[in-house]
Amino acid sequence: MSQADPSGLGRARAVGFVLPGLVLIGVFLVFPALWTIYLGLTDYRLTGLAAADPQVVGVDNYTTALGDERFRNSLWLTLQYVLGSAVIGQAVLGFAIAWVLRNRPGPVKRITEGLVLLAWILPSSVVAFLWIALLDRDDGTLNTLLHTPGFAWLLDYPMLSIIVFNVWRGTAFSMMLYGAALENVPPSHLETARLAGASTLQQLRDVVFPRIKGHVLTNLLLISLWTFNDFTSFQLTAGGPEGRSEILPVYIYNVALSGGQLGFGAAISFLVLLINLVFAFVYLRLLRDRRKVVVP
Amino acid sequence: MISLSGLTKEFPGGVRAVDSLDLEIGDGEFFALLGPSGCGKTTLLRSIAGLETPTSGKIRISGNDVTALPPGRRNVAMVFQDYALFPHMDVTSNIAYPLRIKKVSRSRREARAAETASRLSLSELLARRPGQLSGGQQQRVALARAIASHPQVFLFDEPLSNLDARLRLEARTFLKRLQRELAVTTVFVTHDQGEALALADRIAVMNAGRIMQVGTPSEVFHRPIGTFVAGFIGSTPMNLLPASAEGGRLHVAGAVLPLPGDIADGPLVYGLRPEYADLSQSAPTGRRDVFSGKVAVVENLGAAHLVTLDSGDLLIQVVVPEGDEPAVGAPAWAVPRTGRALLYRDDRLLTVA
Repeated sequence: MSQADPSGLGRARAVGFVLPGLVLIGVFLVFPALWTIYLGLTDYRLTGLAAADPQVVGVDNYTTALGDERFRNSLWLTLQYVLGSAVIGQAVLGFAIAWVLRNRPGPVKRITEGLVLLAWILPSSVVAFLWIALLDRDDGTLNTLLHTPGFAWLLDYPMLSIIVFNVWRGTAFSMMLYGAALENVPPSHLETARLAGASTLQQLRDVVFPRIKGHVLTNLLLISLWTFNDFTSFQLTAGGPEGRSEILPVYIYNVALSGGQLGFGAAISFLVLLINLVFAFVYLRLLRDRRKVVVP
Repeated sequence: MISLSGLTKEFPGGVRAVDSLDLEIGDGEFFALLGPSGCGKTTLLRSIAGLETPTSGKIRISGNDVTALPPGRRNVAMVFQDYALFPHMDVTSNIAYPLRIKKVSRSRREARAAETASRLSLSELLARRPGQLSGGQQQRVALARAIASHPQVFLFDEPLSNLDARLRLEARTFLKRLQRELAVTTVFVTHDQGEALALADRIAVMNAGRIMQVGTPSEVFHRPIGTFVAGFIGSTPMNLLPASAEGGRLHVAGAVLPLPGDIADGPLVYGLRPEYADLSQSAPTGRRDVFSGKVAVVENLGAAHLVTLDSGDLLIQVVVPEGDEPAVGAPAWAVPRTGRALLYRDDRLLTVA
């Protein structure tokens, strides 16, 4: 059997197996993506004249977006959201939980992991409802606990609320990933550092992070992409009040579907796609540089 | 000097890895903890390092009670079985790592690393990463890291077991000479009795969390205090045969031997190393102090053969010089050398026969 054909199917049958998948990807991924690029160049609207007969307007949508205060504000909020809830919140908290739990005996570890995991696997509409009940102005659990009746968390601190919410919601993934990564750190390496007198921070710096660098990068790539495109916060604040928690996915929804400007929304979706690609590119580049160093 | 008193380590679930153990290890001594796996020797070593917290008991190093001190403040260095070299650091940084933690300046710690490396013939390899080193080189780097911090005590966990057989002998000689030169108190753990005999000044033979015997290699080899130590020490296992003393005679496996002095009648265990018997292929005339049997197995040991005799329902092993090995199935007689057999009663050494 030749190297080029390890499965021994032959070219025709191999294509036959792959084709259904390719067709599905084409119909549901590639075509909509291309269609979005096309829509972004038109003044297509949900209703009215432009809905019946959209006109190609070139890069008008893009120049409008880049000049739009609301878009730039939304981009800035999204960066806060990604940095605050994903990079700082989920990654740091997830690592901390994994580190603290790594040597714990069975029940403590299982119960904590179970609770954290529960926040991750519940449907987002259920979770959003729970948080609205928690943060509600009049009868909210938090106000009852803190004895601050009438405090409107979602109105006064909308960004903080959705950041904390997303940390709570998404930490499980980082915790599990780092938990698995920490099992790759040989105990004898940590013990060597302890015998040398290294503090916990020095152990993390000298032994743990050099070992799990790849896991850290993969984790940051995934959670920042997910958070960048996360729409769950819409169910808490709908972007409000006055756009103060209007991150990009919410902005696109508000503009394209509520506002009816489908062409403009498509253009912004394409910008979001480009930003995501930049993220992915940077992370993958870092990962590749690292591999080059490790393999001499 | 290391002194342990009443040291006990009980793991959750009630396993007593170390059971109220007392031990003194002298300054500059090369000390072996020897025993089968699960006997508690590694737990004991890790307790001295501070990596395990004893359930009760005291550990003193040079007179100071270190029982409650964290590992980093005990001034001990440990070499792990897997060497535990940091893969992202080159050899210099690995050797200098403990000094870096102790905030020694870069120039001084690099000088110390280079000096230690040259002593262990690692000078050529200073810029390499552990992944680019052979097993023997990795072990020397791990040793260099332990030496460079000038600890009071070295702890080695199975220091030779990750090397292949030929390298192991070389490393053994090297390790012994190094320890002599440095004259630092060294405790090492091994399950290989040959390694313990070859390296150590004194050996503690352990079983089930307790020390069975402490002594020089010669003492534990020639005067094993009980049948466990007798069976554990020696490259070929000792023959331990049921015997009985009757009317001033010793009856063992069909042979009748003279009984030394003041031993009361009753059951005994007769211990004889296969090296301390001679094999005769013709019946010794008129002698009753020999074991007769049929050759069951002949194992080649290189310069000698290990012959297993089938003597009734007992097996007796004898080491035979090369060229003298009998044919399988032939009758043969094992003649014990006088003054070499050990007599045990209630698992305690009585005397030498």
